[in-house]
Amino acid sequence: MEGLEQFIRFTGFANITLGHVIMLSVGLLFIYLAIAKEYEPLLLIPIGFGILIGNIPFLENIGMQVGIYEDGSVLNYLYFGVLKGIYPPLIFLGIGAMTDFSALLSNPKLMLLGAAAQVGIFLTFMAALALGFSVNEAASIGIIGGADGPTAIFLSSRLAPDLIGAIAIAAYSYMALVPVIQPPIIKLLTTPEERKIKMKPPRAVTKLEKIIFPIVGLILTTFIAPGALPLLGMLFFGNILKESGVTKRLADTASKALIDIVTILLGLTVGASTQATTFLTHQSILIFILGAISFMIATAGGVIFAKVMNLFLKGDDKLNPMIGAAGVSAVPDSARVVQSMGLKEDPSNYLLMHAMAPNVSGVIGSAVAAGILMGFLLKIL
Amino acid sequence: MFENFDLNNIITGDGIFISVVGYVVVFAALFLLSVFISNLKNILNFLQRKKLREEGHYAAEFENLDITGEINAAIATALYLYMEEAHDIESAVLTIKRIKKDYSPWSSKLYGLRQFPRK
Repeated sequence: MEGLEQFIRFTGFANITLGHVIMLSVGLLFIYLAIAKEYEPLLLIPIGFGILIGNIPFLENIGMQVGIYEDGSVLNYLYFGVLKGIYPPLIFLGIGAMTDFSALLSNPKLMLLGAAAQVGIFLTFMAALALGFSVNEAASIGIIGGADGPTAIFLSSRLAPDLIGAIAIAAYSYMALVPVIQPPIIKLLTTPEERKIKMKPPRAVTKLEKIIFPIVGLILTTFIAPGALPLLGMLFFGNILKESGVTKRLADTASKALIDIVTILLGLTVGASTQATTFLTHQSILIFILGAISFMIATAGGVIFAKVMNLFLKGDDKLNPMIGAAGVSAVPDSARVVQSMGLKEDPSNYLLMHAMAPNVSGVIGSAVAAGILMGFLLKIL
Repeated sequence: MFENFDLNNIITGDGIFISVVGYVVVFAALFLLSVFISNLKNILNFLQRKKLREEGHYAAEFENLDITGEINAAIATALYLYMEEAHDIESAVLTIKRIKKDYSPWSSKLYGLRQFPRK
């Protein structure tokens, strides 16, 4: 009888709390959004299922070694890659091997849109400071505005490891919700005439340019922000694997098998880190609110800057200001949003290639911003 | 939830300084990169022009050596059509091949018809 009582105490039913129910619902919502709405399924399925795994109630700290925060558990070992910032550079390696920088090389002024959109990071950093977060926590929260999950995880693993779960979930959630968040902001800030602007087709970029870019890009950006070296180093390394044309096998592995494996591990462990008993706090809710604000400011910043650039550009050099929204580094979702909005306004206006330029520039921009924040704050420490 | 809100935290945490400097540096880094890319095209064009002149190619004097995506698409389509040998306009030459038919009583039309008796 005593054994039966003990068994019942071990079951999920005996340990369930309201927090678990809430988080299980969030996990189910993520899975629903991924399958029914196809919002970033490659991220939301692992994260959503990870949330389910992380929120199955159990009796904690009795040596069962099942929870993600329990030393010795399998999930704990896998979570090590998140905590120590190992997964984000590997993801960047894959992104680099998949990314074609041609659109950016063909029209380099679009790079400034990727810089402009980083305004969300710094304004949210100040907002988080005002709300009472420590300077390191505020920087980690602000980086959500870069809309770059790996960068957000990387920076928070260095500056605010306690907030990784909330920051990662917020960053990935907003990345997945790009098609919901960005269109109203873009519409609000642009006129129908502006949305119909056709941009001149990009020029063909030579192979030599594509090979030189990752080398110079690495040297230039990491000399300015060495903190971003693990991210940008891997990004540009992956890119030269692709563009050199002589390491096809390595580029294939980095852009397919490797990034898939790391995405699975990262998504699952980030999801499982939302264990209700440690995750559901006022802080987490604040981080979600700040993340949303950050993302909206970043989108608006890109669009407004594109409009400012148009004041100085003439004729067919003018930009469709919608592509400014792609300055957030949610690759390629924000570029896709711009493309579909462009097609709605004018079925013959294809903006995808143009939007990819600020999009990939945003990836570099948010990594540089993370490096700069790290440089500042590690010095302050 | 907002009980700790205090704008002074921004000043005490060096928030404005870090944000302004950080944003300016991000801009500067990407601006420098974009300046480099713009000039990279010019440097490579200069080298290409020099090489074309040495080879005596008339394209060396073209004002613009860039190839737009549209031209690329046209070249790619032309190559594709050439490789696939697909064409829109037929030539007027008829290419019907005459087939040789040897006589055989087995396939003779004559024997297939009803033979009427002679009167």
